[in-house]
Amino acid sequence: MGRDKTLSSGTAPPDTLHTAGSSQDVLAWPWAATGEELKQRVQDVKVLAVGAGGIGCELLKTLVMSGFKHIEVVDLDTIETSNLNRQFLFRKRHVGKSKALVAAEAVKQMRPDIDITAYQGNVNESRFDVDFFRRFDCVLNGLDNLEARRHINRLCLAAEVPLVESGTAGYLGQVSVHIKGRTECFECQPKPTSKTFPVCTLRNTPDKPIHCVVWAKEMLFPLLFGAPEASDLHEAPPAGSGIDAAAVTRNIADDPSCYQRAEGESSTHFAERMFRHLYCTKINELRNMEDLWRSRRPPQALDLDALRMPAYGDGGDQPAAIEAGVPATASSACKELGLSDAHSVWNDQQNAAVFLRAVALFLDGRSHELGSAQFDKDDLLAVELVTAAANLRATCFGISRQSLFETKGMAGNIIHAIATTNAIVSGLIVVEAMKLLARSFASCQTSFLQVSGSKRLVSRMSAPEPSAACMVCSTAQARLVLNANKMSLQQLVDKVLKGRLALIAPSLWCGTFSYEEGEGLEEDEITRNRKLLLLPLAQLPGGGVVHNSILHVDDQEQCFKAQLIITHREDWDDEQHPEGFYLGGDLPPALTEPSVEAAISETASPNEDVVSLTSDDDGVAAEAAARPVAKRKAIEGNTDSSKRPRT
Amino acid sequence: MSGGMAAARLAEERKAWRKDHPFGYVAKPEVEADGSTNIVKWHCKLPGKAGTLWEGGMFPLTLEFSHDYPTKPPRVKFPAGFYHPNVFPQGDVCLSILNPQKGWRPSITVKQILVGVQGLLDEPNIEDPANECYRDFKRNRPQYDKTVKLQTKRYAAD
Ligand SMILES: [Zn+2]
Repeated sequence: MGRDKTLSSGTAPPDTLHTAGSSQDVLAWPWAATGEELKQRVQDVKVLAVGAGGIGCELLKTLVMSGFKHIEVVDLDTIETSNLNRQFLFRKRHVGKSKALVAAEAVKQMRPDIDITAYQGNVNESRFDVDFFRRFDCVLNGLDNLEARRHINRLCLAAEVPLVESGTAGYLGQVSVHIKGRTECFECQPKPTSKTFPVCTLRNTPDKPIHCVVWAKEMLFPLLFGAPEASDLHEAPPAGSGIDAAAVTRNIADDPSCYQRAEGESSTHFAERMFRHLYCTKINELRNMEDLWRSRRPPQALDLDALRMPAYGDGGDQPAAIEAGVPATASSACKELGLSDAHSVWNDQQNAAVFLRAVALFLDGRSHELGSAQFDKDDLLAVELVTAAANLRATCFGISRQSLFETKGMAGNIIHAIATTNAIVSGLIVVEAMKLLARSFASCQTSFLQVSGSKRLVSRMSAPEPSAACMVCSTAQARLVLNANKMSLQQLVDKVLKGRLALIAPSLWCGTFSYEEGEGLEEDEITRNRKLLLLPLAQLPGGGVVHNSILHVDDQEQCFKAQLIITHREDWDDEQHPEGFYLGGDLPPALTEPSVEAAISETASPNEDVVSLTSDDDGVAAEAAARPVAKRKAIEGNTDSSKRPRT
Repeated sequence: MSGGMAAARLAEERKAWRKDHPFGYVAKPEVEADGSTNIVKWHCKLPGKAGTLWEGGMFPLTLEFSHDYPTKPPRVKFPAGFYHPNVFPQGDVCLSILNPQKGWRPSITVKQILVGVQGLLDEPNIEDPANECYRDFKRNRPQYDKTVKLQTKRYAAD
């Protein structure tokens, strides 16, 4: 079977790039699409699909129906019921199973002659290394997570494999092509991600509903039920940091134990005490900082006694439903209170009632979680509490209140996914992949799915060129072959960096390992660096410099920057390479340094209003795909940066 | 962090800092017990300005960078309980150049951040108080001065 040599990485010699270098476009697009040659290529090449979720299901289907025969797919996730409405390769019986495996089986049934391999795993795992990526003719991303997308971008650059990248958010979508040296990489344009809010705004001067929601979810919730030290509202100074305690505790407005339940205190009493503390004491404290309110409206404290719902009676008795025997493990305060419509906006009385009841239910019914509870958008009681707490705060600050449904969306960063968008985006991914296979690089395009009245549904532009200032793709790369168990850091520095590359004061970093020489180091740093020199590369801190490690090299005295991709050879032939290493690829010479500060301000591209698109997987949020400056338009993409990386 | 924009920029910042930084300041990435380096967390020390209540102190400050740096600013913290009108009880510094919705620009360097925070020590921003100690600053200056001096002594340079 005649696999195309220029595109097949498996047969390419180590130093040949199969993207850069093969410069002439052989066939003009779209004529290439109709040729026998492309048809054959599509059947012969091997592609990697990253992600088998919203985009991934559509992509796999489109790939096999377009004639692709050698496919591998990676996804960490398992199938959830909420996926079934649009991730159409999955059925109810698959819930709980691996997305990658089930999707692979499903498309195999459509086209039994295909060869498909599925991996249930996270693309950050070390088994998906540079060598793994080198095996593919192109990589197709259908990911919902910015960190994973950046990771794939770097691996594709290192492996010199072209990447087709995608993202969707509701009706919006984007597909882009990244070819090292030819088009911009995924990080050439900064990707504005989740909005983060400064502590000052959240704690003192909220003016939007989202400020109250973030306060309730990220500050209040952990303070009451999670690890209180993790909350920015936590006010106890850690032991031992104390200056003159007596003088400085004046800074600490509260008794640190105030957020803890007192010995023998009933859950209802605690809930009321918290209400008064948060919405009266603390609000009045803020109100008294009059400088804050010179140009802002001062907040108004809430009076709990004026907000009691009749069911609570005068003395804060349990609501009737509780007395009637609803178990304390009840999972919803709203149910008890008869507030079942998630789309209605509660009034202050109702918010107060939900707050009190939700706090009490959490303490009574879920005591085992106390101290470690984490907010989860699918945890109804947690969402009820956050909704009520955020609304009460909103009332204090004169901000509009939100329904439970809206709050859940904000707190969980939910963007509702649309199957059609995923299908269109997947089609565009395959079109771009075919252009790559036809080596019709000049016709590669970035596509946007937009919704704006009369405008075209899909707008396209030529894939932009790489940004010279991009710190990710503008750095020269070379392959360094050596025995990482034998070669010491000293030998690497002397023979390779100073000997071959003529560096004067090399700096190295690789993951969490770093080594520095030259001026501007303190005694302890010099000692630490000296100790490292004796170690074999594989035993350096942070997991060692090993096979497929990407070693970043710089020179404190000169203008030089490169990435060395390590290939480890245990059976090293000393006669063939007496130096003990082999360096493949061209690196630019080290030059005299211009000002470093100039370099920073040049590279820090101040592109503030770039756009972010959030992509779907689960209706849950996702992260940004940015579009080039030419297509700016603000779309807000709130994402949870703490979310674990997903495939 | 395996590479990427944030790490590459921090390597640049480190290089620039080693070449040139304001006298008396310290800023370096955290080193773990096993000798590995955490480039996204920097431990810094700011000298108090001469001629102010803060003179003679070396004030510890940490900078925590995220994957989204430099699109997003680092989180800048003094030790919890630090006595200053613009420092929250957990230590977070409230300063406009660190606010992504206000003064933050990706081109702002570590040096500029530290110089900005040093300036804030003796010139608190009373428009944006973070805690109650601003009342001392406004109404009970002797008490404020006394507490700052005590704190400076606590963090005296050795
Ligand atoms: Zn780039």
